[in-house]
Amino acid sequence: MSQAIIQIEKLGKRYKGSVDYSLEDVSFTINAGDKFGIFGPNGAGKTTLISIICKLFEQTSGHVHYYPSNGNALNLGFVPQDLALYEDLTAYQNLEYFGALYKLPKKQVQLRALKFLSILGLSGVAHKKVKTFSGGMKRRLNLAIGIINDPEIIFLDEPTVGVDIQSKNAIMAFLNDLNEKGTTIIYTSHHMDEAEEFCDKIAILDYGKLIANDTLQNLFTLHNVSSLMEIMLLLTGKEYRDNV
Amino acid sequence: MYRLLTSIKKELILLINDKVGLALMFVLPLLLVFIITIIQDSAFKIVNNNQISMLVSNADEGELGKKLTNKLSQSGMFEVIENNGIDSLQLKDKIAKNEALTGIYIDKDFSQKLTDLSSSISTQMLVDFGIGEGEVKTVSIPSILFVHDPVLQESYCQSIIGMIYAHMGNMERSRMIESIYAEMGQTTVPEQIKNNITNNHINIERTPASKNDKMPTPNATQHNVPAWTIFAMFFMVVSLGTNIVKERNSGSFLRIKTMPSSFFMILLSKQLVYVMVGIIQVFLIFSMGAYVFPHIQLPELYLPANSIGMVVITLLSAITAVSYSLMIGALSKTQEQANGVGAISIIILAALGGVWVPTFVMPEYMQIISEFSPLHWCIEGYYALFLKNGNWSYLSKIIIVLVSFSLAFQLLTYIKFKVDKIT
Repeated sequence: MSQAIIQIEKLGKRYKGSVDYSLEDVSFTINAGDKFGIFGPNGAGKTTLISIICKLFEQTSGHVHYYPSNGNALNLGFVPQDLALYEDLTAYQNLEYFGALYKLPKKQVQLRALKFLSILGLSGVAHKKVKTFSGGMKRRLNLAIGIINDPEIIFLDEPTVGVDIQSKNAIMAFLNDLNEKGTTIIYTSHHMDEAEEFCDKIAILDYGKLIANDTLQNLFTLHNVSSLMEIMLLLTGKEYRDNV
Repeated sequence: MYRLLTSIKKELILLINDKVGLALMFVLPLLLVFIITIIQDSAFKIVNNNQISMLVSNADEGELGKKLTNKLSQSGMFEVIENNGIDSLQLKDKIAKNEALTGIYIDKDFSQKLTDLSSSISTQMLVDFGIGEGEVKTVSIPSILFVHDPVLQESYCQSIIGMIYAHMGNMERSRMIESIYAEMGQTTVPEQIKNNITNNHINIERTPASKNDKMPTPNATQHNVPAWTIFAMFFMVVSLGTNIVKERNSGSFLRIKTMPSSFFMILLSKQLVYVMVGIIQVFLIFSMGAYVFPHIQLPELYLPANSIGMVVITLLSAITAVSYSLMIGALSKTQEQANGVGAISIIILAALGGVWVPTFVMPEYMQIISEFSPLHWCIEGYYALFLKNGNWSYLSKIIIVLVSFSLAFQLLTYIKFKVDKIT
């Protein structure tokens, strides 16, 4: 049996000024080496959940327990949906800057920057300003920054949104490779086909509550369906979720 | 240290790529200082160096009108243009047509009336002392018409009238002595007596309140160079404010929050870079005032004797400007807000603070309001250095105010970032 790396226990979040909970009584466990997908309609609480796990926000109630392999603080990587890059810096300078903020030694930053630029097909443009990059190149760089600290667990919020098929293929291949080497991956996306192909365990949230948490195969069997999209529509309905 | 140096490097690269911000921080102020100093220098020269044009129509049939004209001409204050063929209405018309800023019309019986007045006073004095026997006549008072351009300030008109009075008083006293001597049967007045009575014997020693002898009076350069340098420093709000908004809205600040580095280290690196920008601005603009201005017939900037005070005020001004820019960046939701609110607020604070016109010429209530502008205290700091000896007891009050402004701006920045859950 795999060892837990993150355990979420009765997690609740209510934003200041709001009467409703964005997250309510959410509990599940993520094991080391999982490719864990968190899904749900717009406003279901996915971003809030990831933000709390990444310590960007504080929860209103409940606990998040971290179990790092080295017994110290959990070394996590975060790849936000927004392209949190500096457009006037080169790809290499972006990696150098964020690498330094991870408190990595200069030499290690340089080696890892060159390595990830090479793996993600950005070596040729390493010293070009990011503002000259295509959407796919920026996404790949965004991913490289999130893993420059060689994290044990990485959080990916829509890592392939708005990219071409080649960049998407490169990103997903790279993530699979990382996972095979032991990195736990927490992933959210609205691309159900991609998620189905990538994730081995999923959690589905709706209206801030956890409505499903199992392996993909068990969920298929349980609901007698053959795709993640069918599960989503079955559990969350077909109504629009427009938040005004 | 590697983290701080890398952060500083990143800030420098972002700054160098911000062409508009650099232009606003360096090119615009250099142009402003240059243009406004040229414009204001001509105005300062009118007050300090240039002669006021005075059209004189002397219809006096005696000699005193001519004497008064000569005295005004010799005073060095006026460029006297004599046109004796015109009457008072024509004189007024010429002043209205901007042929001169001021004019005087001396009546044809000016000498006669002044002589009669002096004789009357001297006769009265001698009768009162029981020495004379003459009859004290009632005489009409001599008068001069003074015409001036309506734009000339009241205080300036009063000083010109005062000068005319002074010369007329001298002439009147001189005539009076001559009358007294004549009544006493003396044909001539000893020159020494005449001089003693007509000349001033009180010596007024004049000195500016500055220990730097090279800078006796304020001029356009001494005001504009520090004032517009401070304006330029605070205009960094456009660059730094936008920088903060961009990073926050792109998600960089949130990403940094997941990293083991302190957010304050990020802010520190920004502040170090922009404080350096402020110091470079001072160096460039002050150098232009000191070394370029004299070559283009503008007054030279004389640097203050208190060099430590100069460093302290420059550093504090830069820190206050940086703190203000951080606060605007933290409070703004969009780049447009940071640019708009930042730039407009600086223009208003500059006007209030005395960048455009010194605060001492403002109404009293505006002078009180100006104390709420951080730019006012920065300018006061430089005024204290340039014009008031760099006196530490006066500077210390300014230092305390600037530190307070900086702390308040930094505190508001911290609170806003805390509310936004960035720190």
